[in-house]
Amino acid sequence: MKESRLMLIQYATAVAAVALVSVHLVMQGVIYPYATAISFSNILSVYRNGFYAIFLEALLVVVLVHGFNGVRIILQELRQTRSWTRLVDAGTVVAIIVTVAYGTRTVILAVFGGVSV
Amino acid sequence: MRDLKLMVQRFDPFRDSEPKMMEYRIPQREGMTVLDALLYARDYLDHSIALRFSCRQASCGSCGMKINGRPRLACYTQVAELGGEKVVAQPMDNFAIIKDLVTELESFFAKHKDMMPHLIRADTGEMEHPSAEYLMKPEELEKMLQFTYCIKCGLCTSSCPTVATDSDFPGPQALAQAYRYAMDPRDEGGEERLKLLDGTHGVWRCHFAGSCSYVCPKGVDPALGIQLLKRHVMSGKAPHREGAKVFAASASQK
Repeated sequence: MKESRLMLIQYATAVAAVALVSVHLVMQGVIYPYATAISFSNILSVYRNGFYAIFLEALLVVVLVHGFNGVRIILQELRQTRSWTRLVDAGTVVAIIVTVAYGTRTVILAVFGGVSV
Repeated sequence: MRDLKLMVQRFDPFRDSEPKMMEYRIPQREGMTVLDALLYARDYLDHSIALRFSCRQASCGSCGMKINGRPRLACYTQVAELGGEKVVAQPMDNFAIIKDLVTELESFFAKHKDMMPHLIRADTGEMEHPSAEYLMKPEELEKMLQFTYCIKCGLCTSSCPTVATDSDFPGPQALAQAYRYAMDPRDEGGEERLKLLDGTHGVWRCHFAGSCSYVCPKGVDPALGIQLLKRHVMSGKAPHREGAKVFAASASQK
């Protein structure tokens, strides 16, 4: 993929992350008092709200893509060999896939009852 | 007027294991530049000091060095503006040292050349045997004029934090020149030039520190050019080519 496309994704996920994280913080810190928001039963009930489960999945993908792409950029500036470039690019894709899959597993288990109070 | 305390970083890669600072006492005179002080030290105190200079009027860009911690032209920096008591001269950062204050500029000019800093046009016959002038509107000239003032001194590149870590990054000088030619209405090689910049170590590695613009002795703003260049690289389209059309109309009238 062209670097300009990767940077477009980086900028788009940055903007999206600002919006999603803001909503998330308002939900967890203002609408629900913080102490209540982090209780296990409350978290499960939040996950089982279909809209909020989709919201959390979107937050997961946006933040992980933005974060790992940012780390990729930093690592690419450390060394300039072709093998390093390929290793970092491949490592970034693998890291995003693995962490998104693991986070999605948590969302699915919480939504569909794999986890209970 | 008190004597100037001139500290010069000395280093010969063939003889020394690490750089050392040497101190020289220079009798000051009104209007003395750092280059004047260095030449006095070389001519009367220590003939072995190596430095590069030529025009003495900020036109050639040869005497770029780090003066009191900041990249400057030695001929364009007066001792008085630095306080008049102590001047520390060191070679530019981000360049290999040949000897003392003389740095290796080969890779710097190679990166400049990579940007194809010349007009690229389809009418090669017209380029070799011109029949009319290539016309340009004043507002088109305005978009790129400041970037034509670059004297390739390397100060911007020596101040760039990305160049310090990424040896494949073209650097602010080369990127600003890429923008200068991309914005030239007479040029038709825009897309070709933009493709060069859209790699892992291309224009996107500029994080807009802005130090290049801060140190430029000619008032060029490479950081601005790079940000504007990003817009064109993102779209993949070179700017409008109205000037080239004007030339075509002008030629057909003859």
